[in-house]
Amino acid sequence: MKFFGFLITLLTGAVLIYGTLDMPAYGDPDSPASRHVSPRYIEMTEIETATPNMVTSILADYRGYDTMGETTVIFTAGMSCIFLLRKRKS
Amino acid sequence: MIELVIAKYNYWIYVILMMIGFYAMIVKTNLVKKIIGMNIFQTAIILFYISTAYKMGGATLPIMTDAQAHGHEAVLVDGVINPLPHVLMLTAIVVMVATLGVALAIVIHIYRRYNTLNEDEILKVMK
Amino acid sequence: MILEQFPFLVHSAPALIIVIPLMFALLTPVIGLIRREWTFPWMLLALLLATLFSVTALQDVMRNGVIHYRMGNWEPPWGIEYVVDHLNGLMLVLISATALLVAVYGKKSVEQELPGKEVYFRCIFLLQVTGFLGIVITGDAFNLYVFLEIASLAGYALIAIGEDGAPFASFRYIIMGTIGACFYLLAIGYLYIVTGSLNMADLARLLPPLYGSKVVLTAFAFFMVGIAIKMALFPLHVWLPDAYTKAPSAVSALVAPLMTKVSVYVMIRILFGVFAPSFSISVVPAMKILLVAGIVAIFTGAILALAQKDFKRMLCYIIVAEVGYMVGGVGLANTTALRGAVLHIANDVVMTAGLFAVAGIINYKMREHRLDDFKDMFKRMPFTMAAFATIALSIIGVPPTGGFFSKWYLLQGALQEGSWIFVAALLFSSLVNVVLFFRIFEIGYGFHGDHGHSAGGDGGEAVAIREAPLSMLVPLMIAAATIVLLGFYNQALIGKIIQYAVPVL
Repeated sequence: MKFFGFLITLLTGAVLIYGTLDMPAYGDPDSPASRHVSPRYIEMTEIETATPNMVTSILADYRGYDTMGETTVIFTAGMSCIFLLRKRKS
Repeated sequence: MIELVIAKYNYWIYVILMMIGFYAMIVKTNLVKKIIGMNIFQTAIILFYISTAYKMGGATLPIMTDAQAHGHEAVLVDGVINPLPHVLMLTAIVVMVATLGVALAIVIHIYRRYNTLNEDEILKVMK
Repeated sequence: MILEQFPFLVHSAPALIIVIPLMFALLTPVIGLIRREWTFPWMLLALLLATLFSVTALQDVMRNGVIHYRMGNWEPPWGIEYVVDHLNGLMLVLISATALLVAVYGKKSVEQELPGKEVYFRCIFLLQVTGFLGIVITGDAFNLYVFLEIASLAGYALIAIGEDGAPFASFRYIIMGTIGACFYLLAIGYLYIVTGSLNMADLARLLPPLYGSKVVLTAFAFFMVGIAIKMALFPLHVWLPDAYTKAPSAVSALVAPLMTKVSVYVMIRILFGVFAPSFSISVVPAMKILLVAGIVAIFTGAILALAQKDFKRMLCYIIVAEVGYMVGGVGLANTTALRGAVLHIANDVVMTAGLFAVAGIINYKMREHRLDDFKDMFKRMPFTMAAFATIALSIIGVPPTGGFFSKWYLLQGALQEGSWIFVAALLFSSLVNVVLFFRIFEIGYGFHGDHGHSAGGDGGEAVAIREAPLSMLVPLMIAAATIVLLGFYNQALIGKIIQYAVPVL
C-alpha cells in the first residue's frame, strides 16, 4: 500500500510538473492571467465600485456571488457540525 | 536549464508540497494525519494560485494609494499584482476550513464509537 | 403556467432556483426554534418553488433559447453568469423534482432514524439540493467548484449520521471527495494561468489556439480524474458502496441518484462546453479512454452486484454499472449514443431514486435492508412491490419503460461505432440485472426456501397486508409512473429537449 501510494503520488506530481513546462514564467507581467480579465478590476475599481481595495471590490462586487457561496459553505459546515455532534436531548 | 528553473520553480515547489499532502492522504492510517495531509494539499493549491498573481518589476498590493484614489495618479496594470487569484483563494480558504471542520466532526464521531483513530483497527472492529 | 403573468419572475427564474432553497435553508433552524413540525412544510415549500422555477426556466429555454443571467449585472468574463440551456434546464427539473419527492418520502424515515435531529436534517437537505442546483446552473468554472463543495459537505454530513459504520464510510468519502474537488480546482488554476479567464464560454473561446499545450492537456486530465472520483467511475468508486449503503434511507434516495448524475453532467459540460468536441475526440484520446472505462465499470459493477447479500449495497454496484453506461455512451462519441447517455441520466435519476426509496421502505419496516428481508413482501406490501417491479423492469430494460429506450439509443450508438464490446457489456449487464431482480422477486413471492418457520404449514395466507405509509408510498408510485411515462414520451423528450442539449458530432 505504501509503495503503491508513493507511485500514485509520484505519477500525479510528474503530470503536474509536466503541465507547468508550458506555463508563463513566474512573475511574468504579460502572462494571460494578468492581461485578460484582471486589468479591468485594477483600472476600473474606483470608477465602477468606488472601492480602492481591488480584492474587496472583486470579492464583494464583481464576483460577489462566489462570496455568497463561500458563506453558504461555512453555514453548511456549521450546521453539519451541530447535526453530527449534538447529543440527543432525552 | 537554469532559466527554466528560475521561471518555474514556484510551481514546482508547490507541486512538491501538494504531493506531500496527497501522499499523507492516501497512505497514512491515522485519520487525523490524513486530515493534516488534506490540509497540506489544499494549502499548497492556495499557494500555487497566489504565486500566479505575482508580477515582476515592482508591482505592489492591489490597493490604491491616496493619490490614485483621488485621481492625481493613474493606476497602472503592471504596477499592481493580479487581485483575482487572491479573491479566489479567499473563497478556497473558507472551503478548506469548512471541510476541515466537517472532517474533524466526523472523526470525533468515529472516535466516540471505536475509541481509536487508526484505520486498520477500525476496519478490524467493523468486521 | 401561472408564473407567466409575472414576467419579472420568469426573468429572474435562474437566480430564484438557487436563492429560494438557499434562503429557506438559512431560515430552517429559525423556524425550527418556533415550532419543530413547521420545518417540514417549510422545506416542501422551498422545493416546490424551486421545482416551479426550474420548470419555468426550462420552458423559457425551449421557447426563447439559451438564458444568460448575469449576477450583479457584470458582463461575463468579469462577473459570474448563469447559463441555462436545454441540458442543464433538464437537469434542474430532474434535481428539484426528485428532491421534492424524496423530501415527502423521507418524512417518516427521518423521524424514525434521526429522532430529534429533523430540523438540522432538513436544513442540510436543502443546502444539499442548493449545491446540486448551483453546480448545474452556473456558467462559471470557479463558481461550480464552490457549489460542488456545498453539495459535497452537505453530503458528507448527511451520510455520516447513518447507521453503524457510516461515519467511517463518510470519512473515506471526505478524503476521496476532497481529492476530487482539489483536482478540479487545480485544473481550473492551470486553465486560468494560460487563459486568464474563469467563465466557461470564455474559456471555450480562448482555448482552441492553446490545444496541444501541456498545460491544457494536464488541466484536462485533472478535470477528468477529479470528476471521475465524484461520479464514482470504476476504479475510483471505492467510496460509494459503503457511503450509500450506510446513509439514512432518505439521504441515499437523494444523494445516490443525484450526486453521480450531476457529476456526469459536469463531465459532459467540460468535454463539450469548455473544451470543443474536436479537442476531446481528436487531440486527446479522451473518448476512447472514457469508453474503455465505461465498459470496465459496467462489467465490474454488474459482477460485484451479483455478489451482494444486502439490497442497498447491490443497488450501489448497480449505480457503478449505470455510471458506466453514461460514461461509455459519452465515450462512443456519436450523436445517437450521446443522446442516449443524456436520456439515461434522466431515466437513471428516477430509477435509482425509486429503488433506494424501496430500500428505505424495507428499512422502515424491517430495520435492515438485506435481500432476505424481501420475504413475502409481495403479499405484505403489494403496492410497494408493484412499483418496485416496474422500476426493476426499467433497470433491466424491458419496454415500454424508460430504461429500455435509453439502452436502445446507447445500443444503436454502439452499433454505429462498431463497438461490439460495449454492446456486449450492455447485454451482459441487462442479463445480470434480470438475475438480480428476479432473485428478489423470487424471495418476495416466498418461493425461496421452505425451511425455517414457514415450514410450520402457515405458508402465505397468514401474512397480512402491512403496506408502507402513504407518505412513502405515493412518491414511490410517482417515480414508477414517471419511469413508464419517460418510456412513452422518450421521442418527445429527445425531440424537444435532448437533441438541442448535446452537440451533433
